[in-house]
Amino acid sequence: MAQRTRVLIAVLALVILIGAIVGVEALRRSSSGQAEGASGEPTLAPGSIPIYVDGRLEGSFSPTDLEALEQVSFVDAEEGKTQEGWLLRDVLLLHVDQDQMQPEDTVVVTSGSRGKSAELTWAEVDDAANWVMFDLSGRSTLKLVSVLERLDVRDEWIQDVDRIEITSE
Amino acid sequence: MTDQPETAATTRRYFSTFQLILLALFAALVVVAKIALRLPLQLPGHSGIFWMTIVVVAAGVVHKPGAASLVGLTSGIIAGFLGLGDFGALNTFLSYTAVGVGADLTLWLLGGNAENLMIATLAATFGHMMKFLVKWGFGIVTGAPVGFVALGLLRALLGYVIFGALGGLLGALTLKALRRAGFFQYLAEKR
Repeated sequence: MAQRTRVLIAVLALVILIGAIVGVEALRRSSSGQAEGASGEPTLAPGSIPIYVDGRLEGSFSPTDLEALEQVSFVDAEEGKTQEGWLLRDVLLLHVDQDQMQPEDTVVVTSGSRGKSAELTWAEVDDAANWVMFDLSGRSTLKLVSVLERLDVRDEWIQDVDRIEITSE
Repeated sequence: MTDQPETAATTRRYFSTFQLILLALFAALVVVAKIALRLPLQLPGHSGIFWMTIVVVAAGVVHKPGAASLVGLTSGIIAGFLGLGDFGALNTFLSYTAVGVGADLTLWLLGGNAENLMIATLAATFGHMMKFLVKWGFGIVTGAPVGFVALGLLRALLGYVIFGALGGLLGALTLKALRRAGFFQYLAEKR
């Protein structure tokens, strides 16, 4: 087989591979979300992160929220890598009234697929100096990062976040 | 004295000791590049520009099928032990190995000349895509949520393709520069 033909086949295979990945992801996206939403509760958009307040679905962090959020960044001490994204505080305040929140209220950010979660107080989340924020991972899922001691290294970050829960004290 | 057949002594090894040392050094270089070299880019897969360059150079210097796979495998073991990557040691090991195997397979199918700009670019692109495929596949297997931004995955994919291709291109150019500098002649004389 001529070299030119082999190169063309390789390029074609690459395009097919990309198409297959995008196709499978689109199928996953179309079959995810919208399953929640009990009576009176908001419906979840695919890829969005549900926000529960005292067990009740209050809303979801969805891509459309990004227009209303300011993008922030900090350089993590462990790897010297820039973490860029959106503060958890700003995300929550889009869906929850600030007056409703007390400093000792707990905010739990969970990744079901990783079996990991981080429990923070509203006081910690509300303090901008803690940089409690979501960064977009390479796979386009959200990861929770911070400069707080228990969230400042890769092993402690919460990758593939799929749930936020606020419990008032 | 016994009359045992001297099979061990007479069997020719696929890689010489010198080649194995070279490949191990390239593998270590992949890991060092991943840790130490940073580009101020917020684009997924941008580190591929460094390590695909190294993998292509390794495949060109040790011009045998399997060279890139061995670099991938060795760097995967090192990176796994160092705790690199977001998804645990197994994912790190498999994704690094996939880089080498993908590049090797493409090089083999396209004739194996890593100095050819087009072949090196394609091999590096496929190698880097394999890494993405492993990470993405792991996400699906572990039930990770779909991407937050609808076109985020496509953006990540394109990042992997572009930076992998650039790495391959740089690798081929490095090999050409090494040839001009007489590196391959030096290696041949050493042999």
